[in-house]
Amino acid sequence: MTGAKWLPTLILLTAFQVLSAGQVVISKDGISKQSAIIFGLYIAIEWIYTIVSSIVRKKASPALEFVAFFLTGIGLVIVASVDEKLLKTQFVAVVIGFLCYVFLLWLISSMDRAMAMRLPMGIAAIGLLIITLALATNRNGAYNWIYIGSFSIQPSELVKVAFIFVGAAALEKLQSTRSLTQYIAFAVVCIILLFLMKDLGTALVFFFTFLILAFMRSGDIRTIILVCVAAAMGAALVVLVKSDYVIRRFSTYRHIWDDMDGSGYQQTRVLIYSVSGGLFGVGIGHGKLKNIFAATEDLVFGVLCEEWGILMGIIVILCFAFIATHSIKCAIGCRYAFYTIAAVAAGGLLLFQASLNIFGVTDFLPMTGITLPFISRGGSSAISCWSLIAFIKAADNRTWLGSRYHTEVVE
Amino acid sequence: MNKISKRSKILYMLVFAFLIGAILLIFTLFKNAETWALKRVNQHIYTNGQLVSAGTIYDRNGVVLAQTVDGKRVFNPDKTIRCSTLHTVGDLSGFIATGAHYAFRSDLTGYSIIDGVYNIERHGEDGKDLHLTIDSKLCAQAYNALGNNKGTIGVLNYKTGEIICMVSAPTFDINNKPKDIDTNDSGRYDGIYLNRFLSGVFTPGSTFKIVTAASAIDNIPDIFSRTFTCTGSYKTSTGTVVCNGVHGTVNFEKALNRSCNSAFAQIAEELGNENLTATAERLGFNKRIQLDGKVNVAKSYFTLNDAVSVDRGWAGIGQYKTLANPLHMATLMGAIASNGNCPMPHILTKKTQFFNLTPSSTLRYMDITTANQLSDMLRSNVKDFYGDSKFPNLEMCGKTGTAEVAGKKPHAWFVGFSRNPNTPLAIVVVLENSGGTGIGTAVPVANKVMQAAVNSSF
Repeated sequence: MTGAKWLPTLILLTAFQVLSAGQVVISKDGISKQSAIIFGLYIAIEWIYTIVSSIVRKKASPALEFVAFFLTGIGLVIVASVDEKLLKTQFVAVVIGFLCYVFLLWLISSMDRAMAMRLPMGIAAIGLLIITLALATNRNGAYNWIYIGSFSIQPSELVKVAFIFVGAAALEKLQSTRSLTQYIAFAVVCIILLFLMKDLGTALVFFFTFLILAFMRSGDIRTIILVCVAAAMGAALVVLVKSDYVIRRFSTYRHIWDDMDGSGYQQTRVLIYSVSGGLFGVGIGHGKLKNIFAATEDLVFGVLCEEWGILMGIIVILCFAFIATHSIKCAIGCRYAFYTIAAVAAGGLLLFQASLNIFGVTDFLPMTGITLPFISRGGSSAISCWSLIAFIKAADNRTWLGSRYHTEVVE
Repeated sequence: MNKISKRSKILYMLVFAFLIGAILLIFTLFKNAETWALKRVNQHIYTNGQLVSAGTIYDRNGVVLAQTVDGKRVFNPDKTIRCSTLHTVGDLSGFIATGAHYAFRSDLTGYSIIDGVYNIERHGEDGKDLHLTIDSKLCAQAYNALGNNKGTIGVLNYKTGEIICMVSAPTFDINNKPKDIDTNDSGRYDGIYLNRFLSGVFTPGSTFKIVTAASAIDNIPDIFSRTFTCTGSYKTSTGTVVCNGVHGTVNFEKALNRSCNSAFAQIAEELGNENLTATAERLGFNKRIQLDGKVNVAKSYFTLNDAVSVDRGWAGIGQYKTLANPLHMATLMGAIASNGNCPMPHILTKKTQFFNLTPSSTLRYMDITTANQLSDMLRSNVKDFYGDSKFPNLEMCGKTGTAEVAGKKPHAWFVGFSRNPNTPLAIVVVLENSGGTGIGTAVPVANKVMQAAVNSSF
């Protein structure tokens, strides 16, 4: 960009964050130093990244990152408003996620490097899922968390990144049937492992992503194979639904008010407190939904509507729509099919996951216990979301104009 | 590669579906906002399931019936007023669905989808105030007049539609709720959460003869010159309708005075199912009345589907499957008193009809001629039969009823109104399963309340 067209937007974004963070930093009990430092650092990262990237990539627009920073910032304030002790951990995860984003962007800037990483990524993904299955303890009916000391990780979040990476890379080099078969085998193994963890939400997200990848490759006889596999997975989903835990969730669907203190507890509270907020919210930290289990995770959209207002809920919805449409725009006219496919898969995954969450907690869809990208608390989730937008950013031709890697290609 | 790029556009479909879903979601939130926000589990509004953050409820004279003081809901200090206005004011847990605390909770709390619960949170006690049309002192007097009876008394100003008095028994003192209220099965507390005036339906007995008479006036041109012979019962092809006496030969007016079952069964027989049903429905049976756009009143019920002649006879005298709601009967009295139309009843004063979304509507029951003829007949009932001494200085019109109830003692009814333009009041008294007759027990109660009412601030 010539000049600094991004500057007014960044100033607005910063102002918004200062105002919202201010409400958790400054309270009746005085000023919370730790929170002040964390939000200060967060805003500093935004500025440094934007300035540096505007120097390095002169033609690039930081719109996508701004949206990610905006959503992540809301998530951090919500975490701080519910339990300040959790803020530090979440912030560290966001920083790691941000670094992953920068790293991944560098990694896939060279197609050779990306292709070389294909196999290790695939092996790491499956290995991670197997380790999870071996070590995981039951948490809310699913076996998808592992604990390392005092840290807990949800590996399926990280595998999302590998799933798209491997998928896009495999389909880029579709010279042989063998590479496709390998990829299908990889996808099937991933999804089966998720089934075994009883992580229905994530399994659905993977399944959906797989469908996108399959479609991107369609027009080919091999599509039929892909669709067949998709159907088989659908059947496997039905088997999964048979488990008691999932059955209970599904039987509540559209009947949440019949058992509002039992199986419909979370959804009814989300609706009750969302409308309690009105258009403008009751104020950050003044909500009641935050006292309910998983408020900052699955139910965070309700907290947002209650405390920040339904208007803010609408803005967040539009942000997810933006991320998806932006990924389509970037995907059209890429230098390599890898970028196109990865961007569309990442954009689709984020939007699909947001839909499952937002419509799940409001009883428009069955509740699957999945998080809202960028905003829900959770380190693994933050890392995965930030990594995913690297795929979208990489597909944007403006990112590379005039850069070393771009000239490499031209040569 | 270009082909693959084009396929990206499939994602637009998902974006489109997502946005449609979002619009539906926002629409659903707006549509259900009040219902959901005012659920009793909402801790912004309820504390331990009790409505606390709400405005003050006043009666028509500014007497405080309930208010919030220091985070607690406080009721009127007088026990009789608390007991007599319980069903109108309502409890804090929403057991009494037609009570103001529940029915007008969105107004009381000041909730709106735009501001959410912000106002309640900020000001606490400062929800919007409600001014009710009832006179709490009159309610207390009506409550005393009811004595130990179950039942209800309601008084309606038929010029304005204001309900100035309604009491329902059994009731309880909200400050001292009986501990055994939900466990006692002696029947003492049957329907204690029900405002019988608004939510009750009772077999109307002879008070229904007013409806049969209205149908006769409209459908039998020479009804006033007819005579009927009462031998103590009326035989139809399918059974016998028993009368309360042997009235000999009576004309239409005398038949109503004496509440002659034989005559009215005969009239019903002549009218037939269609005419009688049509009149009953025109007079508000099977139709819903709603107060102030918020409080649904129980529908009076009338049917002659599959009825044979003896059923029709019993229906004509207010038995069979017929059920009447006391407020509906009061509006019927109001309509007879004022040319066939009664203003829509309400319990909020003009001051608190916040948005006035519902235009002040009118219940149009009958034409002016029918109304005036009925009015004269009901006046004759009091003047020529019960005696004006039963209702001194009221120019009272009315009809008693003793409604037979299967397996239980009969209900004693009185429905009526004062024809004096200075006291435009209609009254309904129902003494539920009291065992007394309308004339013997309901009339004295009605008089007590009417005398108090004309001296009140209607």
